[in-house]
Amino acid sequence: MTKTHILPLILLFLASLLGGCDADIDAFSPDPGEADFTTFVSLGNSLTAGFMDGELYREGQHNSLANLLAGQFMHTGLEDFNQPLMHDDIGFGNRLILAEADGQPLPVPMPGTPDPENFENKYNDAGPFHNLGVPGARIQHLLFEGYATLNPYYQRFAADIPTSSIMGDALALNPSFFSLWIGNNDILSYALDGGEGEHILPPEDFRVAFQALVGQLTQQGASGVTANIPNITQIPFFATVPYNALLLTDPDVVALLNNAYAEAPHISFELGPNPLVVYDSDHMAGIRQLEKGELVLLSALNGISNEGWGSQEPLSGEYYLNAKQIEHVTNHVEAYNDIISETASNFNLAMTDVNQLLKDAEPGIYFDAIAFNTEFISGGVFSLDGIHLSARGYAIVANAFIEAINSQYQASVPKVAIGNYPGIQFP
Amino acid sequence: MFLMVSWLVATSTMLQAGGYEVSLHGQRQVGMGLIGTSLTLDASAAFNNPGALAMMPGQLSVVGGINGVFASTAFRMEAPSVYQAKTDNPLSTPFHFYAAGMLTDRLAAGIAVNTPYGNSLEWEDAWAGRFLIQNISLMAITVQPTLSYRVTDMLSVGAGFVYAHGAVDMERALPIEGPDGEARLHIDGSTGNYGFNAGIQFAHPAGFQAGLSYRSQIDMEVEGGDALFSNIPSSLATAFPANNKVDVSLPLPANLDFGLSYQATPDLLVGMALHYVFWGAYEELVFDFEENTGSLPDSYNKRDYSNTLIIRAGGEYRVTPEIYLRAGGYFDPTPVNSEYFSPETPSLDNLAFTGGVSFLPIPELSIDASLLYIIGLEEDMRYTPENFGGSYSTRIFIPGIGISYQL
Repeated sequence: MTKTHILPLILLFLASLLGGCDADIDAFSPDPGEADFTTFVSLGNSLTAGFMDGELYREGQHNSLANLLAGQFMHTGLEDFNQPLMHDDIGFGNRLILAEADGQPLPVPMPGTPDPENFENKYNDAGPFHNLGVPGARIQHLLFEGYATLNPYYQRFAADIPTSSIMGDALALNPSFFSLWIGNNDILSYALDGGEGEHILPPEDFRVAFQALVGQLTQQGASGVTANIPNITQIPFFATVPYNALLLTDPDVVALLNNAYAEAPHISFELGPNPLVVYDSDHMAGIRQLEKGELVLLSALNGISNEGWGSQEPLSGEYYLNAKQIEHVTNHVEAYNDIISETASNFNLAMTDVNQLLKDAEPGIYFDAIAFNTEFISGGVFSLDGIHLSARGYAIVANAFIEAINSQYQASVPKVAIGNYPGIQFP
Repeated sequence: MFLMVSWLVATSTMLQAGGYEVSLHGQRQVGMGLIGTSLTLDASAAFNNPGALAMMPGQLSVVGGINGVFASTAFRMEAPSVYQAKTDNPLSTPFHFYAAGMLTDRLAAGIAVNTPYGNSLEWEDAWAGRFLIQNISLMAITVQPTLSYRVTDMLSVGAGFVYAHGAVDMERALPIEGPDGEARLHIDGSTGNYGFNAGIQFAHPAGFQAGLSYRSQIDMEVEGGDALFSNIPSSLATAFPANNKVDVSLPLPANLDFGLSYQATPDLLVGMALHYVFWGAYEELVFDFEENTGSLPDSYNKRDYSNTLIIRAGGEYRVTPEIYLRAGGYFDPTPVNSEYFSPETPSLDNLAFTGGVSFLPIPELSIDASLLYIIGLEEDMRYTPENFGGSYSTRIFIPGIGISYQL
């Protein structure tokens, strides 16, 4: 009899082991290191606010750089992080989505009427706010009292519209840790005008402003992270349309164009890709063809494709950047970035090299088994406006911020999992 | 029997030994730490060492069994990260069936049907590594007719012809999102190929036995398998042809086995085995799509496995003529290159403990049970080409049951 009892006993033993056969792995232990993340404020522009696809909207704000950082700081002592959320995913109404046109995905305005609530000041109902990123803000705007009267994105959440400054709102929260990523718009506003508008803020003025910002933020002992500025050559808005975007496949059209420009012999066309024709007041003839290395703005694409811009009608100056203008931009980016690095180092702040990150991403880079590059729409890093990052782009940058913070403060702030954030939505 | 086999075929996939090898080739061998090369227990020798088959006791032997593989893998993303994921694997049930008889005093014939390679896992939905693998089911079933000849009382040789049927079914996510959610690629195909198994067995009257066997590499080359893309947004439809085909090839690596055993007392058998696997054959996993587009080039995924030596030891104790107890263990270092570690085959350095029991209600019939517990030692691994890394840990629990009948 005893023998026949052995098998059931063994089966019972097997069953009891089943509970212990699940693989387990030790949890990672986050650690704030030398930093104090209790109260985190995030200062900056659209890139901090969560602006993407041409607009600030609720889902984009959930995936803002500031909110992604805050979510990770929750593991290292952050208690509360409040964003001035839009009421919906329309925002002020400038959002782009992808639509299918001739079987191709193309950015188009998202239909829908902005809710008036999106424009109303939320401070009394829902403030104070820790994400103080304001789309459009340039460096000097952060100290500007009354800036909310000029910028509707700040008007939405300023503590007091006529008198508040972004910096004032930040300091009122008595932050223990801050992020400061600013200066992009000082460069971009020049480049987005094709270099035809006002000049870029001189580096001396940038230095004064940046040191003032960091000085005020650190005065009460806060530590923080800052970041440098990417060059425009990695930004799809400037890197998508090639200088020779005029593709001619019909010999009759080539002849027609050559004939039309017969009086400007330095302009000629042939089968294949041709440099675009542009207005250039510095040129003797007032018009010329673009040269390799010059940058055409994405906003010219529709005109080039459908309206004969750059061929029948020369492209006007606000749609391209010539070599001199590009050099002007690059010099300012380098000067700004030197100031940012130097100041970060002087104040013992973490500094994120976003400039290098985007250079590395340009030819293609994998994060968490997802392939990215900086191409428009397909690249995954940038959103549909070709200037601001996508949700995953912000996640990539957030991880770069976290790396810089961990290294500067001997901290172990966990990184985000890139694949947890939404990719570009294709129709 | 064929009905049963076809049912088993449908469900028998597993993850058990290094790489995608499965070494569950008999409950009695499993109980003794997977040693088998030098053992002449029964018809299972046809697979474990064809050279030993002619030394099996008795005139006729039939062995059948099945194992249940409860495997789980845990993942923690590369530091610093709090992200964790687990597999939610379905139960897989590798099986084995052997039959052999003595045709003459010296010549034995047999057949072995089993599942020496396989891998089955399902990562939790939407896990971070889904762009590498979401789920996979890979298996090879081999059928091996075998002849073995006893040259002298102390020496026998044998060889078998191996037909392997392989099938693969895998799914991964693509980082493309549309109205239906994330796009997916599902690959499904099967194939067959040939190889051989040969061995030599030496038995000393004092109770020593030694065996040496070699199983050849068999390449499983799926041609024209289905490559189905789902949830592809319509604006990208031309980039991902809907009903594409794919060629994919996977080696079933060669094995070289050496075993020693000693019948220390009439009741006690002890032994060891060295199991050398030529994993170096697995250099790359290539998906060669029939129709390529700018967004869909052929996919070359480096694997760069290394050959491994697995050291196994175990023994059997006869408690009464009706009851046998077994125990054993082995160490199975991973063949996977830690820079090219894909979560499709999360094979770690494995430390395993085994136990087993047989009950013989009549001398001809043995009911055999085994238990194998494998600890996949936690280690940091990465798939460097796609920048995906983390710590993996596995636990595998494999109870098995079988019967053997011997005349």
